[in-house]
Amino acid sequence: MASIPVVQSSSEFRDTFFKRGGEKAARCYQCATCSSVCELAPANAPFPRRQVLMAQWGLEDQIISDPGPWLCHQCNDCSVRCPREVNPGDVMAAVRAVAVEKMAFPGFLGSMVGNVKKTWPLLVITPIVFWFVVLFVTTGLGEIEGHSNLEPSALLGQFFYDSYVPHSLIYIVYFAAVGWVALALFIQGSKFWKMLGTRQKRTGTLIGALTGVFVSIALHSKFSACDHGVPKRRWGHFLVMWGFVGAAITSGWAVVYLYGETIFFSWFFKIFPFEKPGYPVEITHWVKLLGNASAVALVVGGLLLWVNRRKTGDKLVGSSTPFDRFFLWIVLAVIGTGVFTEIFRFLPGITPMVGFGVYIIHLGVVLCLFLTLPYSKFAHILYRTLAMAHERLTSN
Amino acid sequence: MDKLGVFLCTGCGIGDAVDVDEVIEAADEQGCAATLTHECLCAPEGLEAITASVSENELNGILVAACSERAKTEEFASLTKDGLVMFRSAIREHCAWPLKEAEDDEDKTLCAKDMVQMSLARLDGMKSFEPLQEEVNDTVLVVGSGRAGLDAAVAAAGLAHPVVLVETADELGGLLALQKSIPPEEPPYDKPQPNPVPGLIQEVKANDLIKVLTSTNIVKINGQPGQFKVELNGSSGLEMTVGAIVQATGARPYDASKLTHLGYGSSPDVVTSHEFEKMLLDGAVSCPSDGRTPKRVTFIQCAGSRDPEHLIYCSSECCVNTLRQVAELKVLDPAIESAIVHKDMRAAGLMEHFYLATQETTGVMITRGEVNGVQTNGKVSVQLSDSLLGDNVAIESDLLVLAVGMVPNAADGELIRELHDSRHQAEHSESSQVRENSAARAEELVDHEGTEILHLEYRQGPDLPALKYGFPDSHFICFPYETRRTGIYAAGTVHAPMESAQAGEDGFGAALKAVQSIEMAKRGEAVHPRAGDTGYPDFFLQRCTQCKRCTEECPFGTLNEDEKGTPELFTLRCRRCGICMGACPERIISFPDYSVHQVAEMIKAFEVPEDYEEKPRIIALMCENDALPALDAAAANGATWNPWTRIIPVRCLGSMNIVWLAEALSRGVDGVILIGCKFGDDYQCHYIRGSELANTRLDNVGETLERLALEPERIKLVELSHDEFGRIPTILDEFSEELDEMGPNPLKGF
Repeated sequence: MASIPVVQSSSEFRDTFFKRGGEKAARCYQCATCSSVCELAPANAPFPRRQVLMAQWGLEDQIISDPGPWLCHQCNDCSVRCPREVNPGDVMAAVRAVAVEKMAFPGFLGSMVGNVKKTWPLLVITPIVFWFVVLFVTTGLGEIEGHSNLEPSALLGQFFYDSYVPHSLIYIVYFAAVGWVALALFIQGSKFWKMLGTRQKRTGTLIGALTGVFVSIALHSKFSACDHGVPKRRWGHFLVMWGFVGAAITSGWAVVYLYGETIFFSWFFKIFPFEKPGYPVEITHWVKLLGNASAVALVVGGLLLWVNRRKTGDKLVGSSTPFDRFFLWIVLAVIGTGVFTEIFRFLPGITPMVGFGVYIIHLGVVLCLFLTLPYSKFAHILYRTLAMAHERLTSN
Repeated sequence: MDKLGVFLCTGCGIGDAVDVDEVIEAADEQGCAATLTHECLCAPEGLEAITASVSENELNGILVAACSERAKTEEFASLTKDGLVMFRSAIREHCAWPLKEAEDDEDKTLCAKDMVQMSLARLDGMKSFEPLQEEVNDTVLVVGSGRAGLDAAVAAAGLAHPVVLVETADELGGLLALQKSIPPEEPPYDKPQPNPVPGLIQEVKANDLIKVLTSTNIVKINGQPGQFKVELNGSSGLEMTVGAIVQATGARPYDASKLTHLGYGSSPDVVTSHEFEKMLLDGAVSCPSDGRTPKRVTFIQCAGSRDPEHLIYCSSECCVNTLRQVAELKVLDPAIESAIVHKDMRAAGLMEHFYLATQETTGVMITRGEVNGVQTNGKVSVQLSDSLLGDNVAIESDLLVLAVGMVPNAADGELIRELHDSRHQAEHSESSQVRENSAARAEELVDHEGTEILHLEYRQGPDLPALKYGFPDSHFICFPYETRRTGIYAAGTVHAPMESAQAGEDGFGAALKAVQSIEMAKRGEAVHPRAGDTGYPDFFLQRCTQCKRCTEECPFGTLNEDEKGTPELFTLRCRRCGICMGACPERIISFPDYSVHQVAEMIKAFEVPEDYEEKPRIIALMCENDALPALDAAAANGATWNPWTRIIPVRCLGSMNIVWLAEALSRGVDGVILIGCKFGDDYQCHYIRGSELANTRLDNVGETLERLALEPERIKLVELSHDEFGRIPTILDEFSEELDEMGPNPLKGF
């Protein structure tokens, strides 16, 4: 008899998995109602029945290398229709959470974020404290009051954050952070891409598939395919994603603006012959308008998601784990502190101490968001994109 | 009957459909002592009018020409006291309603007239009779002491019937006694519960009405319900009389040595569920090969069940039993993991909760899959195809448990009888071909010898006849607990594969049936399906030719034979189907209210018009169990059909005697249709083979018809089940059209 694979089930993995929100997978009797109602499941590799089974059996390696959980957009059509209250949508969410942790580079950071229920104070407070310490060392905290160095102005506001927290300092920290995150994502992504490749044969290259994937992501067309495609979640996610994109463009532009004269960025103004505005940049400038529009998108989108999440337990929403809530709270904290940082600059009667305080917290939570990105729910931007590309390259 | 009265109801549309006066006139012409019409015979006023007429005219037979005998049953039953014979003619369902669309009003009245005349002819032949008054013993004999037997004993004793509980082993409890626990029977149905058998044994032993006999076998049983003479071996060579018998002889595990494809025998670490149960009971689960504690135990479901090579059926309890063993294993050692491989998890009803609870238990893996093979090299590796993962996979474990199915502890009495007959033929037949075939058949059946349990001294064999798969049963859906031997009821796993709780219920149900049969025997009444019928067959034995058709064909083994082959009637075994009456070529068997003669008189009683073009005539012989209720339902639902058909109710198509067909055709009737129950493996006949026997008899009739230059198609048999009442108009009208194409019966007018 030819040798056939032995089911390597791990009770340990099963227990871990169940603790991460997938415990109802145990109830499944494999009727496959879920797979047949799923609008997103590819015909040649339907989900989520198989994934629920893998979870039930504790097939760690197989479940982590499966593209299905990442193709799922958790519309919960399956959970609504499941006759045995398995809530496959939640199971898929738990698979993603566990996969993020298991693929994390380095592993201990994955475990730390995975164990966010206990570690969250550490994760949030460390970057904030870090900023206070850095500023205390470089500028001295006592000096804040002295940095209200502007005449109140409708277009420029009443204080000037750069005067106390120099952009150069920010860039040193964030370039380092982004570099580290990019490295982690690259390592994780390569690993995942390789694992996906061992499961199904692909035809074509990743780059070739990405255009279509980006169009799909840009339009959020997958969300609309779901039968119950909750509009609130679709538009919430849409606004938040584009808000982050807008904020990224704004920040990127700021880098270019500040270092435009250097050899690194001089090409930019040659290709895009913008008139370089005076410094500080007035709020009516298009970059500021883009930044503010992004902030509005983030606030509205974030609120939509938050309101939706409050209905947790509703089968259409699914249940929330600390892993889910941590990510959402960090995003909301980034948005909130960012918005107030700007508002306080213009709001009469706000002392520099308050303004700078909020700004420093903002810098802290942004750093937290950046550093936890490869290990939190945020990592879906990597894995989902890769899984969608993989799907495109295997669908024929 | 000589003083007959006709009572014609004009309600429910009968009065509108037929010319009442003409019908009454026809009845008068036949010499009725009294006639009466009433607009609502079933109302107190109508019933009083009948009663008054009966006493005024000193009637001894009445014809109620109104609705179907399945309607207003209680109302009209109140009339049949003091030996008054009643016949009910369903003018409403057979004439007024279904003929409402008939073109010619005259046809409706003709039909009603014919019906009254036919019914009077039948009534005329009926005899009044006294119910049997036999000495009846109250004792219930329970054979087997598993859960079904124990529950049956307790239930019968609870109804104040003495019980004799016979067990072949030296301890009570049967197979279930060897089980650590049973599946949950109480909410929330999520964990095993204590085995009830020890408690039941205590209860049985403490009950004064129950006599317990262990290490005892039955030597022979003869007699009939209420009067079974039982001889037991035992130490004292006990003899006793009992009223009814519950056979609860249980089941035995399927022989695992045949399961080599599942690794049984190739390694000591492959055990049956029963061997594993013993480990659980001893509180020590270990691998028999080296005594180590297994890390994982795999359970294979349907081991030899639902398998054409082994047991074709589902044993129904193994799935839940495995869930229970997994739960017990968890209690014993939570560190041991379990895996279950099934074809389907059959945890019926509330056992779903138990299944769910097991799924949610840590360290339990459950999957469907086809077992392709089992390899035993150190570890036991179960190779699966069609796994839920889609691929072929293997599951490794240290101990493999085969959930084997159950085989009933039953003897197929009919086959044992056939074995004896074949042996006899093999020695005594004059034809060498027959001798050879019989010897071969005897060789095939030899395994059945020695399996006898009840040792019935019945013409048709020493034990209950079995259905397919070897379970003695009559029809498990329609007639639970019934067997094909009146007064003997099967319960528990000998009756059908079942788990503990169901076996308990089964024992209870069978005990009630047994008690019921005793009580009805006391009143001389038939049991199901003609429950309460006190008429019984009469054999005019002077004319018997010892052809043995009646003794062969009786579905309930009512008749024994003497040495010459003359039937010996055991009336209390009789279910009153009339199959013997239909079988008898000498027509010497009759019931006081149902006979070959009575039905023949019905066939002769109605007018067959000579002019075919206008008035063809068709006779429909319809079974009272399925076909006639279906016809009632069709009529009540507004179905209509041709006005040429005259319906004659029969107890069973098996009671059809072919002289009726000859009589009908020789009178010029254009065709006869027989409508009865479905036959074959999934038969619906209340008398097992009645419609099938009728069909066999028709085969022989065909030749006779051709000799008479008649088309064999003039006689047709249709199988119909009760739910197919919608087919009735089509069946009747299609036959009418077929006859129309054939043209009139050439014997018409002779």
